[in-house]
Amino acid sequence: MPVSTHLGSQLVDLCSVLLLLCCFAIVAQRRLSACVDLFALQSAFLAATAALVAFLTGHRHIYFAAALTVVIKVIVLPRILRKVIERLNVSRELGMNVNIPAGLLICGALVIIAFFITQPIIPLGYLLTRDSLAIALAIILIGFFTMIARQKAITQMVGFLVMENGVFLGATAAAYGMPLIVELGVFFDVLVAGLIVGIYTHRLQDAFDSVDTSTLTVLKE
Amino acid sequence: MWAVIVLLTGPVVAGLLSLVIHRARVLHVVNFVTMLALAIAETALTRQVLAEGSVTTLGAFVYVDALSDFILVIITAIGLSCSLYMWSYMDDQVARGVIAPKRLGLFFFLFHMFLFAMVAATLANSLGVQWVALEGTTLATTFLIAFFRKRESLEAGWKYLILCSVGIALALFGVVLTYYSSVRVLGDASSALNMTELIGVANQLDPNVLKLAFIFILVGYGTKVGLVPMHTWLPDAYSEAPAPIAAMLAGVLETVAVYTLLRSKSLVDQALPPEFSGNLLLTFGLLSFIVASLFILIQHNYKRLFAYSSIEHMGLAMIGFGVGGPVGTFGGLFHLLNHALAKALAFFVAGNIHRRFETLEIDGVRGLARAQPITAVAILVAGCALVGLPPFSPFVSELLVVSAVAAQDFASDTVHVGRFMTMTISDEMRSLGIVTVFLFFGVVLFGGFMFRVGAMVWGTPSAGIPQGEPWTVGHVPLMIIIVALLGLGFVLPEPIQTLLTRAVNVIVVR
Repeated sequence: MPVSTHLGSQLVDLCSVLLLLCCFAIVAQRRLSACVDLFALQSAFLAATAALVAFLTGHRHIYFAAALTVVIKVIVLPRILRKVIERLNVSRELGMNVNIPAGLLICGALVIIAFFITQPIIPLGYLLTRDSLAIALAIILIGFFTMIARQKAITQMVGFLVMENGVFLGATAAAYGMPLIVELGVFFDVLVAGLIVGIYTHRLQDAFDSVDTSTLTVLKE
Repeated sequence: MWAVIVLLTGPVVAGLLSLVIHRARVLHVVNFVTMLALAIAETALTRQVLAEGSVTTLGAFVYVDALSDFILVIITAIGLSCSLYMWSYMDDQVARGVIAPKRLGLFFFLFHMFLFAMVAATLANSLGVQWVALEGTTLATTFLIAFFRKRESLEAGWKYLILCSVGIALALFGVVLTYYSSVRVLGDASSALNMTELIGVANQLDPNVLKLAFIFILVGYGTKVGLVPMHTWLPDAYSEAPAPIAAMLAGVLETVAVYTLLRSKSLVDQALPPEFSGNLLLTFGLLSFIVASLFILIQHNYKRLFAYSSIEHMGLAMIGFGVGGPVGTFGGLFHLLNHALAKALAFFVAGNIHRRFETLEIDGVRGLARAQPITAVAILVAGCALVGLPPFSPFVSELLVVSAVAAQDFASDTVHVGRFMTMTISDEMRSLGIVTVFLFFGVVLFGGFMFRVGAMVWGTPSAGIPQGEPWTVGHVPLMIIIVALLGLGFVLPEPIQTLLTRAVNVIVVR
């Protein structure tokens, strides 16, 4: 079925690009709640990509992973993060280590780097999803950059979750998903990490009157 | 079979029990009994591994060979001595009001979850499960580091959580890439990340994918090991964590993280020339060694001093693994054990000093020999062992690593600078250059470290510091470790030697 494979791979590419666009939107966004919403949207696209791959390849277990993505990354984690934002009464990211236009430019460069790095290994992949691997690496790098560029504990967490989304897209694209036990474990870890960050921001707020991580400067040489 | 089940369920049961028990004494007994059970199970497992070579059980979920068994020996040995030390340390902290009595159960719960995650990471057959367990250690320890709930410890815990999570997310991408290459060979199987499957087909895996995978895994797990430049969380975390936790982090968690790296290395080396992973490890190792020995010179906080010493020793082990070959690898593995013992001793001592002098500043501690004679002996032993003085066992492993570096032959000895300049450096020059750099910074480290330790031990304690040290159960592990450090410096018991030799054969590809 060359036509349906072709169409399928176009659709998968489209979904992956939407994920990447969400990354750029997060980098360009100052409002914390909008960042969380964008992360939820990105996770929804991720679930759609996974479901699409599952549909096109007939691998049932990817449906399961897609469902878990919806529950944990679209519903539970954004809800935890929104609660934290409400309780802490912070709405905007004021201090940024890199301003937005420069950040977007850097992200553009990161995408090029990601394509450059993955070039030698892309031809090995499945026809359906091979370009998504480069996009996945780009998302990981942008998530990493977000964690460096932002100072609020919550945006750092969003950056981490974006990285995790990138890894998940990579796993789905490169190998049609990891073994089920590993996927379950990863979801469990991400969920616990989210809960821990929730508790932490609360304690940081109590101790420092701020969730701005630039105030964490007591420990140094 | 039963030994593996005890190793996995012991910490979980103990952790859950800790949540419902409220009496301190019962908590300590549960903790100690669990550790004893783990040590016994580990002994049985070692006998089995020595007899059968490797053990695969629980539906291919668990795979133990000489390498992972050796790591388990370290986990259980340090865990057992730690449980004894915690007995007096935690009770003391509760008596001082640093920790509310009802939070003691939570402490032990987190401690056992931490232990469980480390045991699971070592026993796991699948590289993916190994990743999940290693991330589990980060999640379990972040609240242990911040357990005193001071501003500093919250800061340290947050840095640790964020940096290690980022690192480990990168490592997950490395694991995904490994899976990407193995699925093509093994087919779409849920077992394509299992070591048992991968060992057989490693030489058919795609070299380009594995290269990329190893770089991601090295950066990711290297963050957990504390290799420079991913080390910035480590001194903060070690200096703020309660002493027994710092001992577990430095002695055991680092070892487990190194183990995960070695697993990947043993795979990659079959598909690529060993120089690829070797040179990467060597570079990170040397960098860590040099940077850490310079930072040791400017430390004024003794827990941070020990933390930087950890970075330096991990760098040293990495140099051993990077040079590779039977001697370098043997030295590196043996050094993991010696470092675990010496560093556990150092942090136990740090806990004792901190409780007496109530400061982390080296300048605030004088006359340890008078105030706490037993602790003073222990810190002298730990100091001598950590700078690699004979007759203590780290001297032996460091000597092995250095001689491996001196005796190595590099495959590539041509350095291209730009387009027009090509330098050819002879093998002797290069390896002797590394030895020279190594020894120079070894001397720097020796001076910096012993100067600080000596400053704390001699002199007269300031007024108001009680003198004399009553014997407690917390001193037992100090004595045991001192004896072990001395003993291993002279003789390597037969079972450990066999285990090490076989572990070397797991890593070194011929």
